[in-house]
Amino acid sequence: MSNPKNDKPLSDQLRELDELIAWFDQDDFDLDEALQKFDAGVKLTEEIEARLRTLENKITVLREKFGEGRA
Amino acid sequence: MQTLILGVSDLVALVNQTLEYAYPSVIVEGELSSFKLSKGKYVFFDLKDDESVVSCFMMVYQLRTALEDGMKVRVVAQPKLTAWGKFSLTVREVAPVGEGSIKRSFQLLKAKLEKEGLFDAGRKRSLPSMPQRIGLIASVESAGYADFIKILNGRWGGVDVTVADVLVQGTDASAQIVDAIRHFNEQAQPVDALVIVRGGGSAEDLAVFNDEPLVRAVAASRIPTLVGVGHEVDTSLADLAADVRAATPSNAAQILVPDREAIIRELHHKQQRMLTRLSVRRERITQHTTAAIERLLDRLQSALNVQQRHVKYARQTLRQLDPKVVLRRGYALVRDESGMLVRDAAALKAGVTIAIELEKAIINAGVKDVQPKE
Repeated sequence: MSNPKNDKPLSDQLRELDELIAWFDQDDFDLDEALQKFDAGVKLTEEIEARLRTLENKITVLREKFGEGRA
Repeated sequence: MQTLILGVSDLVALVNQTLEYAYPSVIVEGELSSFKLSKGKYVFFDLKDDESVVSCFMMVYQLRTALEDGMKVRVVAQPKLTAWGKFSLTVREVAPVGEGSIKRSFQLLKAKLEKEGLFDAGRKRSLPSMPQRIGLIASVESAGYADFIKILNGRWGGVDVTVADVLVQGTDASAQIVDAIRHFNEQAQPVDALVIVRGGGSAEDLAVFNDEPLVRAVAASRIPTLVGVGHEVDTSLADLAADVRAATPSNAAQILVPDREAIIRELHHKQQRMLTRLSVRRERITQHTTAAIERLLDRLQSALNVQQRHVKYARQTLRQLDPKVVLRRGYALVRDESGMLVRDAAALKAGVTIAIELEKAIINAGVKDVQPKE
Protein backbone atom coordinates (compact mmCIF):
# COMPACT_ATOMS: atom_id res chain seq x y z
CA MET A 1 0.00 0.00 0.00
CA SER A 2 1.44 3.35 -0.92
CA ASN A 3 -0.63 5.36 1.54
CA PRO A 4 1.42 5.67 4.74
CA LYS A 5 -1.42 7.29 6.66
CA ASN A 6 -3.77 4.40 6.34
CA ASP A 7 -2.83 0.77 6.37
CA LYS A 8 -6.41 -0.40 6.37
CA PRO A 9 -7.30 -2.21 3.18
CA LEU A 10 -9.67 -0.29 0.95
CA SER A 11 -12.19 -3.08 1.23
CA ASP A 12 -12.32 -2.54 5.01
CA GLN A 13 -12.89 1.18 4.56
CA LEU A 14 -15.65 0.52 2.03
CA ARG A 15 -17.26 -1.91 4.46
CA GLU A 16 -17.06 0.72 7.20
CA LEU A 17 -18.81 3.19 4.92
CA ASP A 18 -21.54 0.67 4.12
CA GLU A 19 -22.14 0.20 7.84
CA LEU A 20 -22.53 3.96 8.24
CA ILE A 21 -25.02 4.05 5.36
CA ALA A 22 -26.93 1.15 6.89
CA TRP A 23 -27.21 3.14 10.12
CA PHE A 24 -28.95 5.90 8.17
CA ASP A 25 -31.43 3.40 6.79
CA GLN A 26 -33.07 2.78 10.15
CA ASP A 27 -36.51 4.34 10.62
CA ASP A 28 -35.67 6.61 13.49
CA PHE A 29 -32.41 8.13 14.58
CA ASP A 30 -31.08 10.88 16.73
CA LEU A 31 -30.30 13.99 14.71
CA ASP A 32 -27.14 14.90 16.64
CA GLU A 33 -25.76 11.41 16.24
CA ALA A 34 -26.75 11.48 12.58
CA LEU A 35 -24.81 14.69 12.02
CA GLN A 36 -21.74 13.14 13.60
CA LYS A 37 -22.12 10.01 11.50
CA PHE A 38 -22.69 12.06 8.38
CA ASP A 39 -19.47 14.01 9.00
CA ALA A 40 -17.63 10.73 9.55
CA GLY A 41 -19.17 9.35 6.35
CA VAL A 42 -18.13 12.35 4.29
CA LYS A 43 -14.61 12.16 5.68
CA LEU A 44 -14.39 8.45 4.94
CA THR A 45 -15.75 8.94 1.42
CA GLU A 46 -13.16 11.61 0.69
CA GLU A 47 -10.40 9.46 2.11
CA ILE A 48 -11.42 6.46 0.02
CA GLU A 49 -11.71 8.55 -3.12
CA ALA A 50 -8.26 10.06 -2.54
CA ARG A 51 -6.79 6.61 -2.03
CA LEU A 52 -8.54 5.25 -5.11
CA ARG A 53 -7.12 8.05 -7.21
CA THR A 54 -3.56 7.72 -5.92
CA LEU A 55 -3.01 4.04 -5.11
CA GLU A 56 -0.81 2.19 -7.54
CA ASN A 57 -0.29 -1.49 -8.06
CA LYS A 58 3.03 -2.97 -7.03
CA ILE A 59 4.39 -5.43 -9.55
CA THR A 60 7.18 -7.82 -8.60
CA VAL A 61 8.56 -10.27 -11.12
CA LEU A 62 10.01 -13.34 -9.41
CA ARG A 63 13.63 -14.04 -10.28
CA GLU A 64 13.06 -17.73 -9.87
CA LYS A 65 13.09 -19.97 -12.97
CA PHE A 66 10.15 -22.28 -13.16
CA GLY A 67 9.90 -25.80 -14.48
CA GLU A 68 13.58 -26.56 -14.42
CA GLY A 69 14.24 -30.20 -13.72
CA ARG A 70 10.53 -30.84 -13.20
CA ALA A 71 8.26 -32.93 -15.33
CA MET B 1 42.59 -57.63 -38.96
CA GLN B 2 41.19 -59.36 -35.97
CA THR B 3 37.54 -60.23 -36.08
CA LEU B 4 35.68 -58.71 -33.15
CA ILE B 5 33.45 -61.16 -31.40
CA LEU B 6 30.73 -59.62 -29.33
CA GLY B 7 28.31 -60.96 -26.76
CA VAL B 8 24.62 -60.35 -27.57
CA SER B 9 24.27 -57.73 -24.87
CA ASP B 10 27.48 -56.09 -26.06
CA LEU B 11 26.04 -55.90 -29.52
CA VAL B 12 22.86 -54.29 -28.26
CA ALA B 13 24.94 -51.84 -26.20
CA LEU B 14 27.17 -51.06 -29.15
CA VAL B 15 24.24 -50.42 -31.46
CA ASN B 16 22.64 -48.20 -28.82
CA GLN B 17 25.87 -46.24 -28.38
CA THR B 18 26.07 -45.70 -32.09
CA LEU B 19 22.42 -44.70 -32.30
CA GLU B 20 22.78 -42.33 -29.39
CA TYR B 21 25.81 -40.73 -30.97
CA ALA B 22 24.23 -40.42 -34.38
CA TYR B 23 20.64 -39.63 -33.32
CA PRO B 24 20.49 -38.36 -29.74
CA SER B 25 17.03 -37.08 -30.49
CA VAL B 26 14.73 -37.48 -33.46
CA ILE B 27 11.45 -35.82 -34.24
CA VAL B 28 9.13 -38.08 -36.14
CA GLU B 29 5.65 -37.53 -37.46
CA GLY B 30 3.30 -40.34 -38.28
CA GLU B 31 -0.06 -41.95 -37.69
CA LEU B 32 -0.66 -43.45 -34.30
CA SER B 33 -1.80 -47.05 -34.07
CA SER B 34 -2.02 -49.89 -31.54
CA PHE B 35 -2.06 -47.38 -28.69
CA LYS B 36 -2.21 -49.08 -25.29
CA LEU B 37 -1.49 -48.39 -21.63
CA SER B 38 0.16 -51.08 -19.56
CA LYS B 39 -0.04 -51.39 -15.76
CA GLY B 40 -0.96 -47.71 -15.56
CA LYS B 41 2.72 -46.90 -16.04
CA TYR B 42 3.80 -47.64 -19.58
CA VAL B 43 2.51 -46.50 -22.94
CA PHE B 44 3.03 -48.50 -26.11
CA PHE B 45 2.05 -47.51 -29.61
CA ASP B 46 3.18 -47.76 -33.20
CA LEU B 47 3.97 -44.89 -35.49
CA LYS B 48 3.35 -45.56 -39.13
CA ASP B 49 3.07 -44.14 -42.60
CA ASP B 50 2.12 -45.77 -45.88
CA GLU B 51 5.20 -47.95 -45.96
CA SER B 52 6.76 -48.34 -42.52
CA VAL B 53 5.93 -48.95 -38.90
CA VAL B 54 8.05 -48.17 -35.82
CA SER B 55 7.30 -49.25 -32.23
CA CYS B 56 7.25 -46.59 -29.59
CA PHE B 57 7.46 -46.67 -25.82
CA MET B 58 7.00 -43.99 -23.17
CA MET B 59 6.07 -43.50 -19.51
CA VAL B 60 2.51 -42.54 -18.65
CA TYR B 61 3.60 -39.43 -16.73
CA GLN B 62 5.17 -38.08 -19.91
CA LEU B 63 1.85 -38.23 -21.65
CA ARG B 64 0.34 -34.77 -21.66
CA THR B 65 -2.58 -35.23 -23.93
CA ALA B 66 -5.22 -37.74 -24.87
CA LEU B 67 -4.33 -39.98 -27.81
CA GLU B 68 -6.11 -42.57 -29.88
CA ASP B 69 -5.40 -44.64 -32.94
CA GLY B 70 -5.59 -42.84 -36.25
CA MET B 71 -4.31 -39.52 -34.94
CA LYS B 72 -1.43 -37.79 -36.61
CA VAL B 73 1.23 -37.18 -33.98
CA ARG B 74 4.71 -35.79 -33.65
CA VAL B 75 7.10 -37.48 -31.26
CA VAL B 76 10.42 -36.41 -29.82
CA ALA B 77 12.29 -39.61 -29.15
CA GLN B 78 15.50 -41.51 -28.98
CA PRO B 79 15.92 -44.58 -31.19
CA LYS B 80 16.92 -47.71 -29.29
CA LEU B 81 17.44 -51.37 -29.68
CA THR B 82 15.76 -53.23 -26.87
CA ALA B 83 17.25 -56.14 -24.97
CA TRP B 84 14.92 -58.31 -27.01
CA GLY B 85 16.49 -57.09 -30.18
CA LYS B 86 13.56 -55.01 -31.18
CA PHE B 87 13.98 -51.54 -32.60
CA SER B 88 11.92 -48.97 -30.74
CA LEU B 89 11.60 -45.26 -30.16
CA THR B 90 11.80 -44.15 -26.51
CA VAL B 91 9.47 -41.21 -26.62
CA ARG B 92 9.93 -38.12 -24.44
CA GLU B 93 7.11 -36.06 -25.89
CA VAL B 94 4.16 -36.77 -28.07
CA ALA B 95 1.66 -34.27 -29.37
CA PRO B 96 -1.08 -34.41 -31.96
CA VAL B 97 -0.44 -32.42 -35.13
CA GLY B 98 -2.87 -31.06 -37.66
CA GLU B 99 -6.20 -29.48 -36.90
CA GLY B 100 -8.17 -32.72 -36.91
CA SER B 101 -5.92 -34.57 -34.49
CA ILE B 102 -5.54 -31.60 -32.14
CA LYS B 103 -9.31 -31.22 -32.04
CA ARG B 104 -9.82 -34.91 -31.44
CA SER B 105 -7.23 -34.99 -28.67
CA PHE B 106 -8.89 -31.99 -27.07
CA GLN B 107 -12.27 -33.69 -27.16
CA LEU B 108 -10.93 -36.94 -25.74
CA LEU B 109 -9.18 -35.24 -22.83
CA LYS B 110 -12.14 -32.97 -22.24
CA ALA B 111 -14.48 -35.95 -22.00
CA LYS B 112 -12.11 -37.73 -19.64
CA LEU B 113 -11.63 -34.79 -17.29
CA GLU B 114 -15.29 -33.91 -17.44
CA LYS B 115 -16.09 -37.43 -16.30
CA GLU B 116 -13.72 -36.97 -13.39
CA GLY B 117 -15.62 -33.83 -12.43
CA LEU B 118 -12.79 -31.36 -12.96
CA PHE B 119 -15.05 -28.90 -14.73
CA ASP B 120 -18.06 -29.22 -12.40
CA ALA B 121 -19.82 -25.98 -11.61
CA GLY B 122 -20.00 -27.09 -7.99
CA ARG B 123 -16.21 -26.94 -7.69
CA LYS B 124 -16.01 -23.32 -8.77
CA ARG B 125 -15.04 -20.81 -6.12
CA SER B 126 -15.64 -17.12 -6.46
CA LEU B 127 -12.79 -14.65 -6.59
CA PRO B 128 -12.38 -12.03 -3.86
CA SER B 129 -14.10 -8.83 -4.94
CA MET B 130 -11.09 -6.67 -4.08
CA PRO B 131 -7.98 -8.85 -4.06
CA GLN B 132 -4.98 -7.32 -2.33
CA ARG B 133 -2.37 -9.84 -3.40
CA ILE B 134 -2.45 -11.76 -6.63
CA GLY B 135 -0.18 -14.23 -8.36
CA LEU B 136 0.20 -13.74 -12.09
CA ILE B 137 1.51 -16.50 -14.31
CA ALA B 138 2.45 -15.13 -17.71
CA SER B 139 5.31 -14.35 -20.01
CA VAL B 140 6.39 -10.79 -19.19
CA GLU B 141 7.40 -10.36 -22.83
CA SER B 142 3.95 -11.21 -24.13
CA ALA B 143 1.20 -8.93 -25.36
CA GLY B 144 -1.24 -10.73 -23.07
CA TYR B 145 0.81 -9.72 -20.03
CA ALA B 146 1.01 -6.10 -21.20
CA ASP B 147 -2.75 -5.99 -21.82
CA PHE B 148 -3.50 -7.43 -18.40
CA ILE B 149 -1.22 -5.00 -16.53
CA LYS B 150 -2.49 -2.02 -18.54
CA ILE B 151 -6.14 -2.73 -17.74
CA LEU B 152 -5.31 -3.62 -14.12
CA ASN B 153 -3.50 -0.32 -13.55
CA GLY B 154 -6.24 1.59 -15.34
CA ARG B 155 -9.00 0.16 -13.22
CA TRP B 156 -7.62 -0.27 -9.74
CA GLY B 157 -4.68 0.31 -7.39
CA GLY B 158 -3.11 -1.04 -4.25
CA VAL B 159 -2.72 -4.60 -5.48
CA ASP B 160 0.51 -6.50 -4.88
CA VAL B 161 1.12 -8.43 -8.08
CA THR B 162 3.71 -11.19 -7.95
CA VAL B 163 4.60 -12.39 -11.42
CA ALA B 164 5.95 -15.81 -12.32
CA ASP B 165 7.59 -15.24 -15.68
CA VAL B 166 7.07 -18.42 -17.70
CA LEU B 167 6.96 -19.60 -21.26
CA VAL B 168 3.40 -19.75 -22.52
CA GLN B 169 3.98 -21.85 -25.61
CA GLY B 170 6.26 -24.64 -26.70
CA THR B 171 7.38 -27.83 -25.08
CA ASP B 172 8.61 -26.37 -21.78
CA ALA B 173 5.64 -24.10 -21.20
CA SER B 174 3.40 -26.61 -19.48
CA ALA B 175 6.03 -27.72 -16.97
CA GLN B 176 6.89 -24.09 -16.17
CA ILE B 177 3.26 -23.10 -15.63
CA VAL B 178 2.59 -26.17 -13.50
CA ASP B 179 5.66 -25.36 -11.44
CA ALA B 180 4.55 -21.75 -11.03
CA ILE B 181 1.10 -22.89 -9.85
CA ARG B 182 2.83 -25.17 -7.35
CA HIS B 183 5.07 -22.30 -6.21
CA PHE B 184 2.13 -20.00 -5.44
CA ASN B 185 0.23 -22.78 -3.71
CA GLU B 186 3.18 -23.61 -1.48
CA GLN B 187 3.58 -20.11 -0.04
CA ALA B 188 2.93 -19.75 3.69
CA GLN B 189 0.71 -16.77 2.92
CA PRO B 190 -0.96 -17.64 -0.35
CA VAL B 191 -2.10 -14.85 -2.66
CA ASP B 192 -5.82 -14.05 -2.89
CA ALA B 193 -6.14 -15.15 -6.50
CA LEU B 194 -4.04 -16.82 -9.14
CA VAL B 195 -4.26 -15.45 -12.67
CA ILE B 196 -2.94 -17.19 -15.76
CA VAL B 197 -2.93 -15.16 -18.97
CA ARG B 198 -1.75 -15.55 -22.50
CA GLY B 199 -2.71 -13.61 -25.59
CA GLY B 200 -4.09 -15.04 -28.80
CA GLY B 201 -2.23 -17.48 -30.99
CA SER B 202 -2.61 -20.45 -33.28
CA ALA B 203 -4.28 -23.65 -32.08
CA GLU B 204 -0.82 -25.18 -31.69
CA ASP B 205 0.42 -22.19 -29.67
CA LEU B 206 -2.52 -22.46 -27.33
CA ALA B 207 -2.28 -26.25 -27.10
CA VAL B 208 -0.27 -25.99 -23.90
CA PHE B 209 -3.43 -24.89 -22.12
CA ASN B 210 -5.00 -28.21 -23.07
CA ASP B 211 -2.10 -30.08 -21.55
CA GLU B 212 -3.36 -32.62 -19.02
CA PRO B 213 -0.93 -31.94 -16.14
CA LEU B 214 -1.51 -28.20 -16.52
CA VAL B 215 -5.29 -28.58 -16.52
CA ARG B 216 -5.09 -30.80 -13.44
CA ALA B 217 -2.81 -28.30 -11.67
CA VAL B 218 -5.29 -25.49 -12.36
CA ALA B 219 -8.13 -27.60 -11.03
CA ALA B 220 -6.14 -28.64 -7.95
CA SER B 221 -5.00 -25.12 -6.99
CA ARG B 222 -5.91 -24.20 -3.43
CA ILE B 223 -5.89 -20.58 -4.52
CA PRO B 224 -8.90 -19.54 -6.64
CA THR B 225 -7.90 -19.38 -10.28
CA LEU B 226 -8.72 -17.03 -13.13
CA VAL B 227 -7.60 -18.07 -16.59
CA GLY B 228 -7.65 -15.75 -19.59
CA VAL B 229 -6.13 -17.37 -22.63
CA GLY B 230 -6.28 -16.43 -26.29
CA HIS B 231 -9.15 -14.65 -27.96
CA GLU B 232 -12.80 -14.75 -27.06
CA VAL B 233 -13.48 -17.64 -29.39
CA ASP B 234 -10.81 -19.87 -27.87
CA THR B 235 -11.76 -22.25 -25.11
CA SER B 236 -8.98 -24.23 -23.49
CA LEU B 237 -9.32 -27.00 -20.96
CA ALA B 238 -7.44 -24.79 -18.48
CA ASP B 239 -10.29 -22.28 -18.94
CA LEU B 240 -12.80 -24.96 -18.09
CA ALA B 241 -10.85 -26.11 -15.03
CA ALA B 242 -10.39 -22.58 -13.69
CA ASP B 243 -12.70 -21.19 -11.04
CA VAL B 244 -13.39 -18.23 -13.30
CA ARG B 245 -12.81 -18.01 -17.02
CA ALA B 246 -11.92 -14.78 -18.77
CA ALA B 247 -12.27 -14.37 -22.52
CA THR B 248 -8.94 -12.56 -22.91
CA PRO B 249 -6.11 -11.25 -20.68
CA SER B 250 -7.75 -7.78 -20.67
CA ASN B 251 -11.03 -9.34 -19.67
CA ALA B 252 -9.20 -11.15 -16.84
CA ALA B 253 -8.14 -7.78 -15.39
CA GLN B 254 -11.71 -6.50 -15.75
CA ILE B 255 -13.04 -9.50 -13.87
CA LEU B 256 -10.36 -9.41 -11.19
CA VAL B 257 -10.64 -5.85 -9.93
CA PRO B 258 -13.44 -3.29 -9.79
CA ASP B 259 -13.26 -0.08 -11.79
CA ARG B 260 -12.18 2.78 -9.54
CA GLU B 261 -14.34 5.27 -11.44
CA ALA B 262 -17.41 3.11 -10.82
CA ILE B 263 -16.54 2.83 -7.14
CA ILE B 264 -16.05 6.61 -6.92
CA ARG B 265 -19.45 7.16 -8.55
CA GLU B 266 -20.92 4.75 -6.03
CA LEU B 267 -19.20 6.66 -3.20
CA HIS B 268 -20.84 9.89 -4.32
CA HIS B 269 -24.15 8.10 -4.54
CA LYS B 270 -23.70 6.79 -0.99
CA GLN B 271 -22.84 10.24 0.31
CA GLN B 272 -25.95 11.61 -1.38
CA ARG B 273 -28.01 8.87 0.21
CA MET B 274 -26.77 9.79 3.69
CA LEU B 275 -27.56 13.42 2.99
CA THR B 276 -31.05 12.59 1.76
CA ARG B 277 -31.78 10.48 4.81
CA LEU B 278 -30.47 13.23 7.05
CA SER B 279 -32.61 15.87 5.30
CA VAL B 280 -35.71 13.70 5.51
CA ARG B 281 -35.13 13.21 9.20
CA ARG B 282 -34.56 16.93 9.79
CA GLU B 283 -37.64 17.77 7.78
CA ARG B 284 -39.70 15.33 9.81
CA ILE B 285 -38.43 16.83 13.07
CA THR B 286 -39.19 20.36 11.80
CA GLN B 287 -42.68 19.26 10.80
CA HIS B 288 -43.29 17.75 14.23
CA THR B 289 -42.08 20.92 15.97
CA THR B 290 -44.15 23.18 13.72
CA ALA B 291 -47.23 21.06 14.29
CA ALA B 292 -46.71 21.18 18.06
CA ILE B 293 -46.33 24.96 18.04
CA GLU B 294 -49.41 25.30 15.88
CA ARG B 295 -51.41 23.15 18.27
CA LEU B 296 -50.22 25.28 21.19
CA LEU B 297 -51.12 28.51 19.40
CA ASP B 298 -54.57 27.13 18.57
CA ARG B 299 -55.15 26.28 22.19
CA LEU B 300 -54.00 29.73 23.32
CA GLN B 301 -56.26 31.35 20.74
CA SER B 302 -59.34 29.49 21.89
CA ALA B 303 -58.57 30.28 25.55
CA LEU B 304 -58.23 33.91 24.53
CA ASN B 305 -61.54 33.80 22.66
CA VAL B 306 -63.33 32.49 25.74
CA GLN B 307 -61.81 35.26 27.84
CA GLN B 308 -62.77 37.88 25.27
CA ARG B 309 -66.36 36.64 25.23
CA HIS B 310 -66.47 36.86 29.03
CA VAL B 311 -65.19 40.43 28.99
CA LYS B 312 -67.69 41.43 26.32
CA TYR B 313 -70.59 39.95 28.27
CA ALA B 314 -69.46 41.60 31.48
CA ARG B 315 -69.16 44.91 29.68
CA GLN B 316 -72.71 44.59 28.31
CA THR B 317 -74.05 43.69 31.73
CA LEU B 318 -72.30 46.63 33.30
CA ARG B 319 -73.62 48.91 30.61
CA GLN B 320 -77.21 47.84 31.39
CA LEU B 321 -76.63 48.75 35.05
CA ASP B 322 -75.46 52.29 34.34
CA PRO B 323 -78.14 54.72 35.87
CA LYS B 324 -77.77 57.00 32.86
CA VAL B 325 -78.91 54.18 30.63
CA VAL B 326 -81.85 53.62 32.94
CA LEU B 327 -82.75 57.35 32.82
CA ARG B 328 -82.47 57.24 29.02
CA ARG B 329 -85.13 54.57 29.01
CA GLY B 330 -87.54 57.00 30.79
CA TYR B 331 -86.99 56.16 34.40
CA ALA B 332 -86.34 58.91 37.00
CA LEU B 333 -84.31 59.17 40.18
CA VAL B 334 -86.00 60.77 43.14
CA ARG B 335 -83.95 62.46 45.87
CA ASP B 336 -85.10 64.04 49.12
CA GLU B 337 -84.10 67.41 50.35
CA SER B 338 -80.83 66.03 51.69
CA GLY B 339 -80.03 64.63 48.24
CA MET B 340 -80.48 60.99 49.25
CA LEU B 341 -82.23 58.64 46.84
CA VAL B 342 -85.75 57.92 47.86
CA ARG B 343 -86.15 54.17 47.98
CA ASP B 344 -89.10 54.04 50.34
CA ALA B 345 -92.00 56.42 49.78
CA ALA B 346 -92.90 56.11 53.43
CA ALA B 347 -90.03 58.44 54.20
CA LEU B 348 -91.75 61.27 52.23
CA LYS B 349 -94.46 63.43 53.56
CA ALA B 350 -96.72 65.91 51.80
CA GLY B 351 -95.18 69.31 51.59
CA VAL B 352 -91.54 68.29 51.30
CA THR B 353 -89.48 69.17 48.27
CA ILE B 354 -88.00 66.48 46.15
CA ALA B 355 -85.64 66.53 43.19
CA ILE B 356 -86.63 64.34 40.21
CA GLU B 357 -83.69 63.56 37.93
CA LEU B 358 -84.53 62.71 34.30
CA GLU B 359 -82.00 62.01 31.56
CA LYS B 360 -81.52 65.60 30.68
CA ALA B 361 -83.19 67.64 33.49
CA ILE B 362 -83.72 67.85 37.21
CA ILE B 363 -87.17 68.83 38.33
CA ASN B 364 -87.63 70.23 41.83
CA ALA B 365 -91.14 69.47 42.96
CA GLY B 366 -93.25 69.50 46.02
CA VAL B 367 -94.95 66.36 47.29
CA LYS B 368 -98.70 66.69 47.45
CA ASP B 369 -99.60 63.28 48.58
CA VAL B 370 -98.03 59.84 49.03
CA GLN B 371 -100.09 56.76 48.25
CA PRO B 372 -98.71 53.23 48.58
CA LYS B 373 -99.13 50.99 45.49
CA GLU B 374 -101.72 48.34 45.69
